[in-house]
Amino acid sequence: MAIQKVAGSERFAYRPSERATLRSKVQSLVPLHDLEEGDEKNALDTLSYEVIRHRLVAITTEMGEALKRMSGSLIVAEANDFNTGIMDEIGDVVSVGLYNTQLTASMDLAIKWTLENRAKSPGINEGDIFLCNDPWIGGGLHQNDVTIFSPLFVDGEIFAWTCSTAHQLDVGSISPGSFSVNSKNVFSESTPIPPIKIVAAGVVQSDVEDAYVRRSRVPNFIALDMRAMIGTNSIAHDRLRSLVSKYGAVRVKAAMRRMMNDAEMRLRTRLKTIPDCVKESVAYVESACLGDREIYKVQLKATKKGDKLILDFRGTSPQVEGFMNCTYAGLRGGVFTVVLPLLCADIPWAIGGIARCFEIITDEGTLNNCEFPAGISKASVGAAWVTQNAAHECLVALMDLSDETRKWVTGLPLAPCVGILSGLDQRGQGFVMVSGDNLAGGFGALPDRDGVDTGGCFCLPMGKIADVEMTEFTTPVLYLWRRERRDSGGAGRYRGGVGGSLAIMLHGVSDNHIHFVATGMGKAVPVATGLSGGSSGAAHHDLIIRGSAAKAMMDRAHMPRDVEELAGDRMIVAVHDESELSADDIYVAEWHGGGGYGDPMLRDPEAVARDVDEGLVSRKAAETVYGVILNGDKADAEATHSYRRVLRMQRAGVNEEAAYELY
Amino acid sequence: MGLVIGIDIGGTFTDAFAASDDGHVYSAKTHSTPPDFSRGLINVLNDLAKVIGVSVAEMLGNTLYICHGTTAALNAVVTGNVAKVGFLTTAGHADSLRIMNVEGRYAGLGPEQIQDIISTRKPAPLLSRKLVREIDERVDSSGSVVLSLNEATARASINELVEQGVEAIAISLLWSFKNPAHETRLRELVREIAPDLHVSISSEICPKIREYPRNVTTVVSAQVGPKLKTYLRPLDNELREMGLTGSFLVMQGAGGAVTALDAPEQAATTIGSVLTGGVVGCAKLGELRGDANIISTDMGGTTFLVGLVVDGEPVKSTHTILNQYSIATPMVDIATIGSGGGAIASLDAGGNLRVGPNSAGARPGPACYGEGGTEPTITDANVVLGILNPDNFLGGKKKLDKTLAEDAIRTRIAEPLGLSVEQAAIAIFTIANDQTAQLIRQSVVNKGYDPRDFIVYAFGGAAPVHCGYYSADMGVKGVLVPLGSTASTFSAYGLASSDIVLTAETSNPNTWPVDARGMQGDFERLEQTLDDRLNRQKVPFVGKTFRREVDLRYTMQIAEVETPVPAGALTESSMQDIADTFEDIYERRFGRGTGFREAGMQSISYRVYATGHMPVKATLPPARECSSELKPTSFRNAMLDSERGWEKVAVYTESDFEAGHEVVGPCIVEAATTTIVVPAGMHGSIDRLGNLVMTYE
Repeated sequence: MAIQKVAGSERFAYRPSERATLRSKVQSLVPLHDLEEGDEKNALDTLSYEVIRHRLVAITTEMGEALKRMSGSLIVAEANDFNTGIMDEIGDVVSVGLYNTQLTASMDLAIKWTLENRAKSPGINEGDIFLCNDPWIGGGLHQNDVTIFSPLFVDGEIFAWTCSTAHQLDVGSISPGSFSVNSKNVFSESTPIPPIKIVAAGVVQSDVEDAYVRRSRVPNFIALDMRAMIGTNSIAHDRLRSLVSKYGAVRVKAAMRRMMNDAEMRLRTRLKTIPDCVKESVAYVESACLGDREIYKVQLKATKKGDKLILDFRGTSPQVEGFMNCTYAGLRGGVFTVVLPLLCADIPWAIGGIARCFEIITDEGTLNNCEFPAGISKASVGAAWVTQNAAHECLVALMDLSDETRKWVTGLPLAPCVGILSGLDQRGQGFVMVSGDNLAGGFGALPDRDGVDTGGCFCLPMGKIADVEMTEFTTPVLYLWRRERRDSGGAGRYRGGVGGSLAIMLHGVSDNHIHFVATGMGKAVPVATGLSGGSSGAAHHDLIIRGSAAKAMMDRAHMPRDVEELAGDRMIVAVHDESELSADDIYVAEWHGGGGYGDPMLRDPEAVARDVDEGLVSRKAAETVYGVILNGDKADAEATHSYRRVLRMQRAGVNEEAAYELY
Repeated sequence: MGLVIGIDIGGTFTDAFAASDDGHVYSAKTHSTPPDFSRGLINVLNDLAKVIGVSVAEMLGNTLYICHGTTAALNAVVTGNVAKVGFLTTAGHADSLRIMNVEGRYAGLGPEQIQDIISTRKPAPLLSRKLVREIDERVDSSGSVVLSLNEATARASINELVEQGVEAIAISLLWSFKNPAHETRLRELVREIAPDLHVSISSEICPKIREYPRNVTTVVSAQVGPKLKTYLRPLDNELREMGLTGSFLVMQGAGGAVTALDAPEQAATTIGSVLTGGVVGCAKLGELRGDANIISTDMGGTTFLVGLVVDGEPVKSTHTILNQYSIATPMVDIATIGSGGGAIASLDAGGNLRVGPNSAGARPGPACYGEGGTEPTITDANVVLGILNPDNFLGGKKKLDKTLAEDAIRTRIAEPLGLSVEQAAIAIFTIANDQTAQLIRQSVVNKGYDPRDFIVYAFGGAAPVHCGYYSADMGVKGVLVPLGSTASTFSAYGLASSDIVLTAETSNPNTWPVDARGMQGDFERLEQTLDDRLNRQKVPFVGKTFRREVDLRYTMQIAEVETPVPAGALTESSMQDIADTFEDIYERRFGRGTGFREAGMQSISYRVYATGHMPVKATLPPARECSSELKPTSFRNAMLDSERGWEKVAVYTESDFEAGHEVVGPCIVEAATTTIVVPAGMHGSIDRLGNLVMTYE
């Protein structure tokens, strides 16, 4: 069924205006600081630039660390699903933190929209702080990403903006956790909040706060996080004010401009080392909501021309009924999540400059540029992630053509499959828990080394999973195991990192059952593809085991070690699923490994033997996939050599018997 | 005569400092003797005896205790020269040490390394998966046994490990801090099977929630313990044979000492041993001078270290990162950057100037050392700027080559940036100062303290050159450079004057407010444990004090705030006071209005610090009374400030200083082991102990 357009929603679908246009639109309503002609070159000596640049980056980090300490959710404080940034007067990003990189390319949109739409009414004044979670405008990728940002005034002019965006546990909607697997469109999801003034002239507006927290199943937590984000902005303002008072507004602003220009120039220089060419990719994703079994695609044609990249997403599936579409902010977030680690690993993340090297072409009303009221509550791990996969594939293909960039060529890492538990905890209080363990995915292998085992994912440079004890303390569950998953790393000359596996049961729940929501991707098709002949990492796989034997075995002083031992009835969890867990049920999740690099039969047999020894590769896989014959815990070099020849002949079409004979 | 001796063993030098109960102090310095650092320790004791003018036997016979800052534990971990350890853990959780909560991929790295995500990787595993055994047992978050310990399979596992030739066994089970029964029973089983094996159990080493750092701490303890034993036991014997009758103590990372014989059992606590002497020295010197709040800055060849003393006590953190692993042992909170004198200045791909974190180290050292170094360092910049005197570096013990310093700066920095050599040198100098200032600022402000309440102490070879600059913008009360009797052996002074401080902690996660009597019971048990341990140190303490704290947070927060708890009986109203204190600290740290009690509060861990006060206090002798007018030894051209440029500045010699002497910046002071810069706008005076105290005008 087509999604009915909503007249009047267009003004929220934001595309950033050019700097000059934006300035002229806004200047008469609220004064914006600016540099005089030549200031950028003349006002700033090398020394002051270095000092100010270091300071701006340090302030961004300080914001992030403060937010983590203040936040009340595992998602923010442990998994780092948030980010912080400093923008110039127009909203262009000067510095972002090393947290969720998806958010680095959406913050600026919210600020620019606010300048264009709030300057007149209710006005933008000193001491104001705005809150927004409308992904059509920007800020974050889905409604859970709540953005709190604030203008810094110097001498009566907006000098800069500071911003923090953090994933909130629950912002309402029909499903706990706000990922609405049953959602057909945004009206079954949390209603997006366009920028509203949560703090006016330094005072938290209690009416606005109430309107915000009222929608949540855990209002106290999101009120605490809201204060944490306000605090983060205040800390940044204090630091920026003292920087300006020491070096003067002109020098600090010149340094901001130069940081963006510097990042842009360095990326342009890097792009020039890659030959001009066109690379194409198609990334697929299954299921747009509960019960949907369709496959959708994000299509990308990347044209590298001189010192810029044109990313053309035309041909992508139309927006769908369901909750996995993303807005333009999600598309941008998806692109920059791979641009930063791949192309900008050693270039400062001044997104305002980096973004100038890209041109993005996309059709309206598509999966990754959807129109209101398409459902978007899963955008960050839905269409934005698929966009990321398509972009990754094209970028890596381009980067493999340049000696300068080849060292960062690596396969795709995991796609997140989230399990959300909710109900009453051991203290009889409501809880929502988003299981983040499966973010400990394996990294893809590189041309010269193995991928990191349980290394995390690229969009969270400082991702983290919680200790089992912390999860058991905050959630009424008991882990039977949490471990690395053998054979999940894609085979290759260099092996993809392994993913992991967990099994949990309810423990000490107040009313003997909890609500369970699953949402993910990469279950039907592995997403962590291998490169240059390497295999894909294992796909995600999760089960609910009804009526398991776990408790009976524990009564007999044995902890079950695997799914076989758990017995019971197995129910495969669909990409999108909703269910209940009761006392004898076990939830088992086995998550993605990274892709391998190169032909597994070229892998050093000793490395395979070591992997077997450490439990990362099974004996069976060592033999059948890597062609390595083990003798005790060492590789038998001669036998391996012979066996690999046989396997190669089989690859060439010779049948097994004949291959042995030929050999 | 009763004597106390501190011995600080660094990478290059081994220092000794002694104080007697009749008010004399003595010091000695000798080269360290890697890999067997114990030789240096014996050597420095011989030298010290000569300084005192007695035989070693007589000196040791009169020694109440020797307190030793050792790198043994740290080196063992860093170099991987550790005991082969078998690890017993809860079924299903053997991979915790490999998964490292993911954070092990980047923990402890700098932001530029973390940003290059694809190049980050985890460190080598602490131990092979083959040395880990999963034990059938399970305790839940309330401490109840869900699965009883299966002793038959446990015995089989222990036997397998013993057959594999392990030298020690580490035991860390889920929720063992709530209920240690399975861990202690497993230890009994190990002792039955292999009575001589060293065993570490997590409920004693680190009884705190979060199994990953607890596992690491327990395994590292088991790895280091036997090594520490083989270092300390023979040394203890040797010292006894040489005539030592008093205690032989080892400094811990938390800032207090333990007896050498107990140290291997708590090996993880000695990992920070060598780092803490300086901060303790600050606390002790501060006590003599009346400075309660001190920022301790130690700038050596490789690193710049910042620590804090607040209300006379070194500030501690509850965990530390070592080789990307998280260790959950309280340690004096020391922040580090690679901004020592040997830090290398370089240009990145975009032509931005960076200083550090790479260091030229002791070898080849800065270019000006003439030992093959070609990369420009902070020390090279200081030579070019005329701050360091090439002919009188370290009291003339080392000649520096200014031409080599200029060449290095010219080719690597000045020419690519289009600057003159001097401009490049002052840029390096200024950036280095700004970086260290930033670290100091983070260390002070981010912990919720106001720098205006602090004085900076600056020691280590390079700090006195830079301290006037890196302290400038924070509004501190002043800067002190220890001279006089502690000048060259400041960390050893800290060791000699350290009290014995022991820490015990336990986790008991609960929703706040907790039952006051229950909390009091937990604290009293910890205090009893500590009292017993203090008594085992065999030192005639003149008093003992106990300090309590609880880690509090708003519900679901991950980071906790260490909140002081009053001594004595706790009541309902104490709970209210503690909550108020928590919110006060919280808002000081994060800003007014950030507190939100409606979210609810949780208490996680209880901790007690016990201090045994030593019978001998190192009393520093007064400096010579002011008898003559202070005159500069010479004048030289130096650039001490980019705005002021080159100017002729007075150069003083430290040995001329007498109490009450004053100097006015800009000027330079040359001392036997360091060079001090008093920048323009600062004023220096010599205090009654001979220290140089600088204040801003």
